[in-house]
Amino acid sequence: MDAPVVDVRALRKVYRVTERETGLAATLRSLVKRRHREVLAVDGITFHIDPGEVVGFLGPNGAGKTTTLKMLSGLLYPTGGEATVLGHVPWRREGDFLRGMTLLMGNRSQLVWDIPAADSFLVLKEIYAVPERQYKRTLDELTELLELQPLLHKPVRGLSLGERMKVEFAAGLLHSPGVAFLDEPTLGLDISMQGRIRRFVAEYNQRSGATILLTSHYMDDVVALCRRVIVIHHGVLLYDGALVDLAERMAPYKRITVTLRGTVGDLSTFGEVVASSDNTATIHVPRTQAGERAARMVRELGDRLADISVEDPAIEEVIDKVFTSERPLAEATA
Amino acid sequence: MIRIYRQLLIAQIQAAAQYRIQAVLWMLFSIIRPVIFLAAWTAVSNAQGGSVGGYTTSDFAAYYIALTIVGQLTTAWNSFEFEFEVRQGRLSPKLLRPLHPLHYAVVENLIWKATTFLPLLVVCALVAVTFHVEWHGEWWHLVLFVPSILLAAALAFMIAWVIATATFWLQRINTINTLLQRTGFMFAGQIAPLALVPTWMQVISYSLPFAYFLAVPAEILRGGVTLERGLLYLVGQAVWLGLAVVAFRFAWRAGLREFSAVGA
Repeated sequence: MDAPVVDVRALRKVYRVTERETGLAATLRSLVKRRHREVLAVDGITFHIDPGEVVGFLGPNGAGKTTTLKMLSGLLYPTGGEATVLGHVPWRREGDFLRGMTLLMGNRSQLVWDIPAADSFLVLKEIYAVPERQYKRTLDELTELLELQPLLHKPVRGLSLGERMKVEFAAGLLHSPGVAFLDEPTLGLDISMQGRIRRFVAEYNQRSGATILLTSHYMDDVVALCRRVIVIHHGVLLYDGALVDLAERMAPYKRITVTLRGTVGDLSTFGEVVASSDNTATIHVPRTQAGERAARMVRELGDRLADISVEDPAIEEVIDKVFTSERPLAEATA
Repeated sequence: MIRIYRQLLIAQIQAAAQYRIQAVLWMLFSIIRPVIFLAAWTAVSNAQGGSVGGYTTSDFAAYYIALTIVGQLTTAWNSFEFEFEVRQGRLSPKLLRPLHPLHYAVVENLIWKATTFLPLLVVCALVAVTFHVEWHGEWWHLVLFVPSILLAAALAFMIAWVIATATFWLQRINTINTLLQRTGFMFAGQIAPLALVPTWMQVISYSLPFAYFLAVPAEILRGGVTLERGLLYLVGQAVWLGLAVVAFRFAWRAGLREFSAVGA
């Protein structure tokens, strides 16, 4: 079996931040004595990612996702723990490591704004020492996948957000990195552009076999791209496993939706009614009793029942439950 | 590395072309100060019968023109730029690449100097004609000026980078920049040629690095030093450059450990 491409062990990051109260007096006091506070951003997380995997890295704002990605891409030194990416310790920032990975941040630009993207690409080609033939092949591929042709010769500052994101992607992938850290790659994009970026990431992974660790607040990104997710909250790893199992483990209920002929009436005897309209109701029932409850509904509602479906709750709902829960998942599902 | 520099230069020329007017204006503003001092010393010199401490009116003009040229060729603004890049999160993309961020700054610096050098020479020629400048140097002054200006430019650049690394710890380094600029103003030979300042000030000036990237090459270009003194100055410049490089390497490594990659 191949060694993991990303290997993280008890990784920890504590930021030291300056604190000051508001007001003139506090400002003057801070001139003499500064107050600092330690903020634990990542608290000893451990995971590994195998070659070619696309893994969703989920967590609410401030969970420690971006800090982790910054450590794994060599931008930040950790406070503790160990990590290797492509066999390198990221924060040593060795040339081979930097040439083998990329970090793309949805809200940040790495291109020179005043010149066309094509010229920035040529600079990157030399910086990453990409051979001429490989450069042409990769650029052609990226141009096709991202439909870049009309954008390449416009100054970057003249591109729309979506167009800029596409050329940012191309810039980050020109050197064919084996590992791509994608931090909110679809942030701020419209639905159609989000879909296009998603399709691109999936196809890029298929074609290149690159390992991808992706953060996104859009669950559609995660559902479309990741079979495996890692969930962190308050810097602690809550879940690492298959996306489909996340719903099963985190949501101890299933959702039964019924459509009736006539008004809904009182359905609380079947479970927790979470939504109802004139003739439709959604009921949460314990996961282990979903079949039995559905059968009882068919039996007791008889001819009044026009339609019934039993589903897992939506993934957004599950994730939201994880994020709003203060308990680690292991405890919650124990 | 040559191929990287070639491509960076092309990209930077394209970017700089859009700001050429701004660059020339900056250059013009930068020569106001030496011209003011030149005018002041000319007035003093004329009032004292055409000479102050052995410097004739023409010598003052030659010195301040040389100082202006040296100032343009040694200018380095990396500490200001670096602070901005860190705060705006623009350093991170550079750190992710297998090329030290210093190289981008080298190219920007070279292009700015190349863009503004010709207009500067025109202005200096006008000042030279206005103040009846005469050059009293020897051929070897010009030969000595070449390594001296290269060392001076490298020294000013590296000192700016040493200061820039303070951003890793302090986030804002305006105070340090201002303090150094004021100190440089006092001890780099901008107020007066260093030969005219009190001995204690000369001692401080030649003990600090500032004179080695301003007054020293300016005096060499003006033809105002002996060969022995000129060579000694080169040694001083080389020593300061060595110290600045070592300090930078140390500060950069230590600073990266503190870097919090804010805004990116």
